[in-house]
Amino acid sequence: MRGADYVIKRTAFAVITVFVALTLNFALFRLAPGSAITNLSRVPHATPETKLALKKQFGLDKSKGEQYVIYLQQLARGNLGISFENSQPVSSNLRVALSNTLPMVALGTIIAIVFGTLTGVIAAWRRGTGTEHLTVSTALGFYAMPTHWLALMLVILFAGIFPSGGMTDDFLIDPSWFTHVKDVAYHMTLPALTLALVLFGEYTLIVRSAMLETLGEDYILTARAKGLKPRTIVRKHALRNALLPITTLIALSLGYIVAGSILVETVFSWPGIGRAVYQAVLQRDYPMLQGAFLVLTLSVVFFNLLADLLYFRLDPRITS
Amino acid sequence: MSMVFQEPGLLSGTQPIRTLRGSLWKVIRGQPSATIGAFILGSFIVLALLAPWVAPYGLHEQVGPVYGHPSWSHPLGLDDGGVDMVTLLMWGARISLVVGFAATFVSIVIGGTVGLLSGYLGGKTDSVLMRITDYFLAIPDVPLMIVVAAIWGPSLTHIIIVIGVLLWTGTARVVRAQVKSIRERVYVKRARSLGAGNVRIVVRHVLPQIAPLLIANTVLTIAVAIFDETALAFLGLGDPSRISLGKVIENAFQRTAITSGAWWAIVPPGAAVALLILSCSMIGRAMEDALNPRLKAAHLSARSFRLRPLVGRGKDAV
Amino acid sequence: MSSLLEVEELNVWFDLPHGGTLHAVQGVSFTLDRGERLGLVGESGCGKSTTVLGLLGLLPPSAELSGRVLLDGVDILAGGEESVRPHRWVDLAIVFQGAMNALNPVQTVQAQIAEALEVHGLASGRAARARVGELLESVGIPRERGERYPHEFSGGMRQRAAIAMALACNPSVLVADEPTTALDVMVQAQILELLDALCRDFGLALLLVTHDLPVVAQLCDRSAVMYAGEIVEHGPVDALFHDPRHPYTRLLFAATPDLHANGAPVSIPGAPPRLDRPLVGCPFHERCDRAFGRCTLERPLLRGLGGERAAACHLNDVPAGVV
Repeated sequence: MRGADYVIKRTAFAVITVFVALTLNFALFRLAPGSAITNLSRVPHATPETKLALKKQFGLDKSKGEQYVIYLQQLARGNLGISFENSQPVSSNLRVALSNTLPMVALGTIIAIVFGTLTGVIAAWRRGTGTEHLTVSTALGFYAMPTHWLALMLVILFAGIFPSGGMTDDFLIDPSWFTHVKDVAYHMTLPALTLALVLFGEYTLIVRSAMLETLGEDYILTARAKGLKPRTIVRKHALRNALLPITTLIALSLGYIVAGSILVETVFSWPGIGRAVYQAVLQRDYPMLQGAFLVLTLSVVFFNLLADLLYFRLDPRITS
Repeated sequence: MSMVFQEPGLLSGTQPIRTLRGSLWKVIRGQPSATIGAFILGSFIVLALLAPWVAPYGLHEQVGPVYGHPSWSHPLGLDDGGVDMVTLLMWGARISLVVGFAATFVSIVIGGTVGLLSGYLGGKTDSVLMRITDYFLAIPDVPLMIVVAAIWGPSLTHIIIVIGVLLWTGTARVVRAQVKSIRERVYVKRARSLGAGNVRIVVRHVLPQIAPLLIANTVLTIAVAIFDETALAFLGLGDPSRISLGKVIENAFQRTAITSGAWWAIVPPGAAVALLILSCSMIGRAMEDALNPRLKAAHLSARSFRLRPLVGRGKDAV
Repeated sequence: MSSLLEVEELNVWFDLPHGGTLHAVQGVSFTLDRGERLGLVGESGCGKSTTVLGLLGLLPPSAELSGRVLLDGVDILAGGEESVRPHRWVDLAIVFQGAMNALNPVQTVQAQIAEALEVHGLASGRAARARVGELLESVGIPRERGERYPHEFSGGMRQRAAIAMALACNPSVLVADEPTTALDVMVQAQILELLDALCRDFGLALLLVTHDLPVVAQLCDRSAVMYAGEIVEHGPVDALFHDPRHPYTRLLFAATPDLHANGAPVSIPGAPPRLDRPLVGCPFHERCDRAFGRCTLERPLLRGLGGERAAACHLNDVPAGVV
C-alpha cells in the first residue's frame, strides 16, 4: 500500500501522544500535593460503601506507581470515577456532554470552513484591490475578538430573536421529535455562530495565504499557457494544491476550537464538554475535570491524526 | 529559480530585512498596517502606565449607581459596583499588558533556548527536543491551562508561568528552522574553521540574524497571551485580587450585566482586548511579511495584463 | 508570403511596487517562418523570457504591453486576454523548464495532457487517453507511465512529458524557454535531439530561448541577441558566431568556455543597466570594450546590414579604419 510507512508512523505518533496525555493527566491530578484533588473517593453525599469501593477501585492506598497502572486499567474499562457534583459516573456524564457539544461545534466549524474558503479564495483572486483589503481587515477583526466577548455581543445583539442560554426550552413538555429538533437548532444558532465567526476570520487568512502561495507556482503559468480559463485554473489547479496546506492549518486550529468551545458553552450555558470543564472548575469537581480534560485532549489527538491521513490522501507525493 | 517572475529590479523596493538594527522600527514606519498597530498598542501602553495618575476616578471608588448609564462625566458608564468604566479599563489594561508581556517573556526565553539548542546542536538533542515539542503541541493549550490554574491556584505569577509554559512551542519551531539555515551559511562555517567557539558564534552571528524573526514571533505571542489571560479570567481562574480586562468582562458576565441591559460594562473591555490583539497581530504579520517577502508574483488574478494603444502604425510606432 | 509569426515593436512595462515602471522589453521585433528555428539569446534578466510570455499575454496584471503580435497576419494581442486565449497552445505552445514545477504535482501526467485536448475540444474521454498515449510514445515515454505523477518522473522525463503536452494541439510554433537548463549534460543532449527531430517531423517553427549558446548553434538557423530588453543583433547563427557585428554578441561568444581552445574564459565585467529609468546612449556602452563618444549620447537603432543581418551598434556606421 502506498505510503504505508507514513500511515503507520503517524498512527504510532498519535498513540504515543495519547499515552503522554494520559500520563500528564495522571500526573496533574494524582500527584498534586494535598488530597483534595487526588482523593477520588471524596465524593460528597456518597455512602461509606461507595467511598470504600472507589478507594479499592483506584487503589488510593497504594503507591503512586501502582496507582498509575490501576489508572490505566480502569481507563480501559471506561471507569473515570464518580463526579463530586452529581454523584454519577464521570464517563456517562461525559458521554452526554460530548454528544451535546459535537453537533454545535461541527455546525460552527463547517460554516467557518465553507465561508472562510470562499472569502479566502476571493481575497487571493482579487489581490491588490479594495475587496482584498476589506476581506483581510474583516477577517483580522473577527480573529482578534475574544471568543467569549463575541458571544456576549451576539447575545446582546440578538436578544429576543435567538435564545441566549441552554440547549432546550425548559417549558416544552414532552415535545415531538420534530419540535425538539427545532428547539435545539434554535438554541444552537448563537453558539455555533460565535464559533463560526471567530474561525471564519482565521480560515480566511489561512486560505488566502495558501492560495497566494499556490498561484505563484510554475504550473499555474503552464495552465494559463495551455489556454485554460482563469476560473478553471483556480478550481482545478490552484485550489486543489492549496488544499494541502489548508488542511494542515485547519487541523492545527483544532486545539483552538476546543478552547473556543469551552468559552462559548460557558456563555450560552450549553450543556457540553466545554461547560463541563467550567462547571468542574467552579465546583472543584476534580474527577470530572480530569475526565473532561482527558476527553478534550484525546479528541484533539484524534482529529490531528485524521488530518494527517487526509493530507496523505490528498498529496500523491507521499510514498512509501 | 522560478521560471520567469523574478521581475527584474522588482525586488529593489522590498529587500528582506536581515539585520537587527532598526528592523522593527523600519517595518513600523514602512507598512501602514504596522504603523496603525504600533500606534494603538503604544497608546494602550502609555495609558496603562499612566493609569494611577491619569485615571479620572479611583479604582474602587463608587461614583454612581450600579450600572449607571454612560454620561458626559462617565463616557463609558459604571459597572456593577458603581465604578467608572474608563478607570476600570485603564487599570485593567495594566494587568492584561503585564500578563501578556511577562508570559511572552517566559515563553520566548524557553522557546528561544529550545529552538537555539535544537537548531544549532542538531542530532540527538534536536530529535529529543523536537519530539517533546510535538507532544506539547498535540495537547490543547487552554484546557491544560485551565487544569493547571485550577489545581495550582490563581495568582498572577501562576497565570504568567502557566501561559508562558504553554506558548513556547511556536517560538521553538520558528527559531529552530531559522537557526538551522543560518548554521549552514558560509560565514558561520568560516568562523568555525577559524576556531571560534560555539558561544561566540551564537552570540555574534546567530542571534543577530534570528532577532528580527524572534521579534515578529514575540509580538504575535503577546497577542495570544493576552487572549489566554482573558479566557482564564473569564472562567474564574484569574487572580482575584487584580483587575484585568478579562476580569472586567467576567464580572459583568457574572453579575447579570446583560439582563440589566448594561452593554457598556461588556462591550468596551472586550473591544479593548480585541484592539490590543489586533494591533499586535498587525505588527507581527507586517514583520513576518517583511522578513519573507513573497518573491514569486501570482501568475493569476482577477485582473489581466493591460494593452497600451499604439500611436501611429507599423514599425515606426512608438 | 507573410511570415507565420511577426512580432512588431513589442514593449512590456512592469509596475513597480513603490511607483515607477520597469521597461523590461523595449521595441522587440522579429519574424518566424514556418519550420524556421530562431534562437533568442541573452543573459539572465535581459527580457527574453518576458518577451515570449508577452507573445501570448501570459504576463501578470502589473504588466502593460504595446506592439503587435501577428499570427498568420492576424494581430492576436489586440483584444487583450480574451482575444489571445483561444490561440494559446493551439497555435503557439510553450515548453517551460520541466525540471521545475511546470507540471501540476497532484495530477497524473496523463490527465494534464488530456486536459489540453479537452479544453480545446480536440478529444475527450477514451479518445483523449489514446491520443495522450501516442504523444507520450512520440517523445520516448512508455504510455503506461502516463498514469504516474510528475514527481515520479526524472527531470529529463518530465521535460519530455512537457514537450508531449506542448504538441497535443498541433501548434505551428513551439516555444522552448530554457529547455535544458537544470538538466544533466547527457539528458540535455537527448532533449535537444528530441526537439530537433520533432520539429523536423511535424514541421514546427521553433523559438528557442536560452542563455546557452552551443544549444543555439546546434538547433537553430537564426539567432537574435537580446540585451537590456532589446534585440541588439540578429542574423544567421553562423554569421553571428564568426562575424559578430555587436560587441555584446562578440563578448558573449567569447565568454562561452571552449574545451578545445587554450585561452581562459572571458567574462564581461559589469552588470546590465537598470531598466526602471530612461537610458541615455547605448545600453551596453558601460561594459563595451569599443565604446566611443557617440555611444554615451545616442542610442543606436537596429540597422540592417544586408543578408538578413541587423545590429544596433554605432560601430557599424563608422567606415572601417576610423574609430
